[in-house]
Amino acid sequence: MSLTPSQWAALLPLLVPALAACLIPLMSLDKDQATAKWIRAVMYGTALLAVGASFWFITELWKTGAQPSFFQMRMDRLAQFTGIFVLVAAAMTILQSWDHFHQEGWVKGETLSLLLFAVVGMILFATTTNFILLFLALELFSLPLYALVGTVRARPESAEGGMKYFLTGAVAASCFLMGGVLIYGLSGTLDLSAAAITLKAQGLALDPLVLVGAALLLLGFLFKVSAVPFHQWTPDAYEASPHPIAGFMSVATKGVAFIALLRIFGSSLVPLAEVGVRMQSVAAILAVATLVVGNLTALVQTNVKRMLAYSSISHAGYLLLGFVAGTPAAFNGVLFYLVIYLAMNMGAFGLLTAYGLVGDHTTFDDLRGLGWKRPALGVSAAIFMLSLAGIPPLGGFYGKYMIFRELVGAGHVSLAILGVLASLVSAYYYLRFLVALFLQTPGAEAERLASDRPAVYAPLAGATVLVCAAIVLAGGFLQAFLADGFTRRALTEGLGLLR
Amino acid sequence: MTWLNSHPLSFLVFAPALLGFVILAIPQTLARLARMVGFMGAVAIFVLSLSWLLGQSGSLAPILAERAPWFTLVGLPVDYSLSVDGLNLWLVLLTTFLVPLTMLGTWNSLKDRIGTFAALFLLLETGMLGALMAQDLFFFYLFWEAMLIPMYFMIGVWGGDERRYAATKFFLYTLAGSLLWLVALLYLAGKAGSFNPAVMGPAASALPFSVQCWLFLAFAVAFAIKVPLFPLHTWLPDAHVQAPTAGSVILAGVLLKLGGYGFIRFAIPMFPAAAMHYAKPLALLSVIAIVYGALVAMVQRDIKKLVAYSSVSHMGFVMLGLASFTVIGTQGAILQMLNHGISTGALFLLVGMVYDRAHTRMISDFGGVAVKMPVFTGFFLVVTLSSIGLPLTNGFVGEFWILNGAFLSGFGWGRLYASLATSGVLLGAVYMLWMFKRVFWGPENKDEGSGTHHLHSDLNAREIAVLLPLVVLILWMGIHPRTFVAVSEAPVVALLKDAKAPAIRTFTLKPAVHEAPAAHPAPGGHAEPAEPAVKGGHR
Repeated sequence: MSLTPSQWAALLPLLVPALAACLIPLMSLDKDQATAKWIRAVMYGTALLAVGASFWFITELWKTGAQPSFFQMRMDRLAQFTGIFVLVAAAMTILQSWDHFHQEGWVKGETLSLLLFAVVGMILFATTTNFILLFLALELFSLPLYALVGTVRARPESAEGGMKYFLTGAVAASCFLMGGVLIYGLSGTLDLSAAAITLKAQGLALDPLVLVGAALLLLGFLFKVSAVPFHQWTPDAYEASPHPIAGFMSVATKGVAFIALLRIFGSSLVPLAEVGVRMQSVAAILAVATLVVGNLTALVQTNVKRMLAYSSISHAGYLLLGFVAGTPAAFNGVLFYLVIYLAMNMGAFGLLTAYGLVGDHTTFDDLRGLGWKRPALGVSAAIFMLSLAGIPPLGGFYGKYMIFRELVGAGHVSLAILGVLASLVSAYYYLRFLVALFLQTPGAEAERLASDRPAVYAPLAGATVLVCAAIVLAGGFLQAFLADGFTRRALTEGLGLLR
Repeated sequence: MTWLNSHPLSFLVFAPALLGFVILAIPQTLARLARMVGFMGAVAIFVLSLSWLLGQSGSLAPILAERAPWFTLVGLPVDYSLSVDGLNLWLVLLTTFLVPLTMLGTWNSLKDRIGTFAALFLLLETGMLGALMAQDLFFFYLFWEAMLIPMYFMIGVWGGDERRYAATKFFLYTLAGSLLWLVALLYLAGKAGSFNPAVMGPAASALPFSVQCWLFLAFAVAFAIKVPLFPLHTWLPDAHVQAPTAGSVILAGVLLKLGGYGFIRFAIPMFPAAAMHYAKPLALLSVIAIVYGALVAMVQRDIKKLVAYSSVSHMGFVMLGLASFTVIGTQGAILQMLNHGISTGALFLLVGMVYDRAHTRMISDFGGVAVKMPVFTGFFLVVTLSSIGLPLTNGFVGEFWILNGAFLSGFGWGRLYASLATSGVLLGAVYMLWMFKRVFWGPENKDEGSGTHHLHSDLNAREIAVLLPLVVLILWMGIHPRTFVAVSEAPVVALLKDAKAPAIRTFTLKPAVHEAPAAHPAPGGHAEPAEPAVKGGHR
């Protein structure tokens, strides 16, 4: 079978990381990988090269405006957006994990391989409306992540977190599968767009089975974005996983699930308007629950990673509010927010690595006084936390602004009020991070430990943190450029919205 | 230089922040240099603001204005819009004046990270100037919120023992008001299709009255927290007491003013009907703030806390003047905002100076300070009298106009509330003079551990240089307040006309505002300790 250049163009961004993912385990077969630094460097270099090549292929497509497809897989603007999003997150994860795994003393090639497989699955997940492909992509990125959570086998909680994530994830995936099966059974087609049209034509739009099917699909997405009540895995999984992996999960999994949610419910299932309305009201209730539970629980955390986990739950709430508002401009707000969220969260988790906090030493007490030690990192931390809290003039504020504006415009004023109250609550725990960094002096015990330990040297993680801070600032000052030139084009040309 | 000629306001607003970032980049070892650069920059900004803004007559047209489209997101255009007109001219000058003065006044107060402190101070100046000048509500909102960040760190890093609590409370309190306000803003902007107040105002009056009321309440709560109006004032004592001297001065001098300014600039002009509707509750809360603040100030043991509560009382006067919906009351409120900035700022500076020497602020730790620090006592006395509102000082004119406005407002509650508020003036004399007596008069406190014992030196030249301009201003504003309210007269008249205040409430328009008290012998002044024959700014 020979492929046309256009098909190659659609496939290459996925093939390259997949190939590298297969190559890297071969390199790590060497028994010396724990001792020989050059083997590790080659592994990491290969992974970065694969991510970079894939990124290059996608940006080339973005520049020319081509939207090639390979059978059911359509590498359209939205998929290209997803690709850029996931690959940037992956590159940062790889850079951070070089430092982090060295700090932990646990450098293994298979983590990179798993990460690259997850990347392939994630991009694939956003390229299709074909249910089989969708499900395969979901599993392709979920299974490596289950393993990645438990990757540092030396830590006992790591296995626990991985197992928890795997079991709940398997249930969610089977629900997702069931939802697709119901829709397929009623419509006779695997393509969700075609299925929606068929169901509409058959007058089955409000058939209970269709509703159940759509609800189960929604459940699958909500699990991946860790919305309440499908959030319980999140704090344990984040706490158990290495910092860069936790950052990657919080950003990429959530982002891809939201983009696919927009593609399926914001575009493919639009003919079934009645179903969409019901799903939005379900999403509204769950968004409220997510905001309340996520924010209130985050208040009482003492571990920074758990705090960030609950914070990421609550951000799923804001993003869901964008889905509830339901307008193309709100979807644009969601995409914009995802871009900023990528930088904020990769940056926040990157800080933990850059400060050299390993193992369980990630409580607020461990952060005390660190802000003054490395001013550039300290300023970045302030930018991330204030942006997460939605304080202008940083990027996070504009994301919330766009979503709340559409929410108010669509008549959901009470939801917007709840949203701002939630971000008020969230300001408290983000400030707590800054209180620890700047307003408290390190405890005597911490000072003693710090003087015993060799100085932390994490240049790669530090560099990613600075890049993230720059992105958050850019989101604050070049907001219209980013929203119109990047996220809006993904929606206009990818989904045909906002024309 | 052509850019500068066409964008003087942009320069004034953003130059401090740019300088602040430059200072942040100066290494810790050169912190003293950083502080000096920061101070010189602030002085330059002050001089430039004086030369660019002063000398304009009081007309409705803005003195300087810049407006350009900035960006459009989710269908709402946001303008880059700065302007200085009669309503904000003196507040802008007060800001640029207080920043270098405070830097100089607290030169040696801080020991560590002085460079960072100076940088934050300059960033704060950008936030304050931007909020004062912004003529687009979204743009205003950006500055309004961004201002919290440097202030948060100033309180939190350099503050007293309870600084973390105070800083977080300050941040969250203000954020709470402004977030709810943001929702109202988004709602109204959605209806108007713009963030320009000139477009939003008419759009607002087209809405049902109940909606207008809700929107006004959202605006009012956000601004009232900043003022702060009773019962939303509880963040203020904590923030004031815990903040370092410089933070307290700027907090009292400028940040609180932004609340009152928000009412004059946005809340009242955009929702005139709703504002009139809520005049009574606003006035009632103001009167409660005046009396309650004064009563609580009376029982404080800490001088700084006393001054903080006196702020609540004084800012209550501002709100009462605004709620009177008279020209004289509103003009009085504007003058009172300047007064409070000068007098309370000076009080915080003075308290800071004594604290730097004695390391205590407890009234009971002092006694007989007049013997040890005669020059300091002189300055403190003048500022105290100004805070009380003695005729010939600024405090008198502002409070007098406000009481006059409230009394003659024609509202059913006007006379009663004005009379009640007058007791605040009396109580002000009680708590200030009582504190003054206990700290400065009496036999010298010879106790080894006392504050007086540690006062080894009187004011030095630097401190006198800081206080002298303030004293000059106190007297100037008391003797010839016309200088400071002439520019705001036309905008205020226009504002109240738009608010359709009934004739009786605007009858003080003619003759000119500064003669009004003389034309109508005002019972509001009865409680003045020494009621003068010549009223207010008549001289």
